[in-house]
Amino acid sequence: MAGRRAAVKAIDWAAFAERVPPNQRAMFNALKTRSDTLSARLAALPEKPPAIDWAHYKAAVAKAGMVDEFQKKFSALKVPEPVDTQTAKIDAQEKEAAKSTAEYVQASKARIAQYEQRLQTLRNMIPFEQMTFEDLHEAFPETKLDKEKYPYWPHKPIADL
Amino acid sequence: QCLAPLPPLPEKGGEVRYGLIPEEFFQFLYPKTGVTGPYMLGTGLLLYLLSKEIYVINHETVAAVSILSVIIYGVKKYGSTVAAFADKLNEEKVATALAVKNEAIKSLETAIEEEKKEQWRVEGCSYLFDAKRNNVAMLLETNYRERLLRVYNEVKKRLDYQVAMQNLKRQKEQDHMIQWVEKSVVQSITPQQQKESIAKCILDLKALSKSAQAAV
Repeated sequence: MAGRRAAVKAIDWAAFAERVPPNQRAMFNALKTRSDTLSARLAALPEKPPAIDWAHYKAAVAKAGMVDEFQKKFSALKVPEPVDTQTAKIDAQEKEAAKSTAEYVQASKARIAQYEQRLQTLRNMIPFEQMTFEDLHEAFPETKLDKEKYPYWPHKPIADL
Repeated sequence: QCLAPLPPLPEKGGEVRYGLIPEEFFQFLYPKTGVTGPYMLGTGLLLYLLSKEIYVINHETVAAVSILSVIIYGVKKYGSTVAAFADKLNEEKVATALAVKNEAIKSLETAIEEEKKEQWRVEGCSYLFDAKRNNVAMLLETNYRERLLRVYNEVKKRLDYQVAMQNLKRQKEQDHMIQWVEKSVVQSITPQQQKESIAKCILDLKALSKSAQAAV
C-alpha cells in the first residue's frame, strides 16, 4: 500500500550533535530523547500479530457457525492506516528553513568579505613611526575627528576624552 | 596633493661640530685648507672682532659666559637621560597603537573563523528535518501496529471467552452429576445390605489372613 512503511532513514546522531550550537543543545536533547522513545516503542511491537488458530477454535467452540462467522469477518477486516498529516508541514518547514539558511549564508559571506577587506588594510598599513595623522585616519577611520559635527575643539563630546 | 607616502624621517639630525657648526662647512674647506683651515678661520675672525672692538667686552659678556657654561654643563650631564625618558614615552605610545592593531587583526581573524563555522553548522539543517520525518514515520508505523494488535487481541478474547464458558459449564455439570450419583448411592444402601456387606468383608479378611500367615 502506498504510504505504508515510509522508510525510516538512518540518522547520524553524532554528526548531527556536532553541528548543534551550544545555545540549542537543550532542544536537540529533547528531540533525541523523543526519537529514542519512539524507536524503542516501535521495536517493542511485533510487525504482524500472531495468526489465530481457527482449527482449534472450530473444534473447541460448540456453538455452530460462530467461529466461521468470526473467521469470515476477521479476514475481511481492513485496519485503516493512520493518516499522515505532518509530513507536508515538515516539507514546508524545510523549504522555509532552506531559504532562511541561504539568506543567512549570504549575509555571512558578505560579512566575511568585509572582514577580509579590513584585514587587508590593517596588514598593508605603514608602520606607526612613519605615519602622519592623516595616514592614521586612513588606516583607522574611527580616529578621525568630525569637524562638521563638533566645530570647536576638541571636536568630540567632552565625555569621550 | 601628493599621494605617495612620505619617506621616513631620518633617525638623527645632521652632524654638527661643537653644537653649532655643521660638518659640511669643514668638508667644504677641507680641499683648500686641510683639517686646520676652519679653525684658523675661526680664530682669526674672533681676534679680528675683539681687537677692532667690533664686539665690545662688557657686563653682558660675563653674563653670557656664565649662562652658557651652566647650560652646556646641564645638557652634557643630563641630556642622555632626558632623551631616553622622552624616547620611552614615545615607545609606549607606539606600543599601545601596535597592540590595538594586533588585537584588531586577531579579532577579525577569529570573526572570520566563527562565520565559517556557523556556515558549516547551518549545513546540518537537513539532519533536523530527516529526524522529524523519521519521528512521524515511526509514530504512524507504531500506531498501525498497535491497531492490528488490538484487533487480534479483541477477537482472541472473545473466542477464548466462549471456550472458557463451555468448559466451565461442562465442569459444573460433571461435578453436579457426580455429587448426585454419590448421594443416591449412599441413600440406597439399606441397613440390611450394610450388615451383609460387613459380614462378607470379615470373611474375606479371615481368608486373607490365613493366606498371609502361610506366606510369612
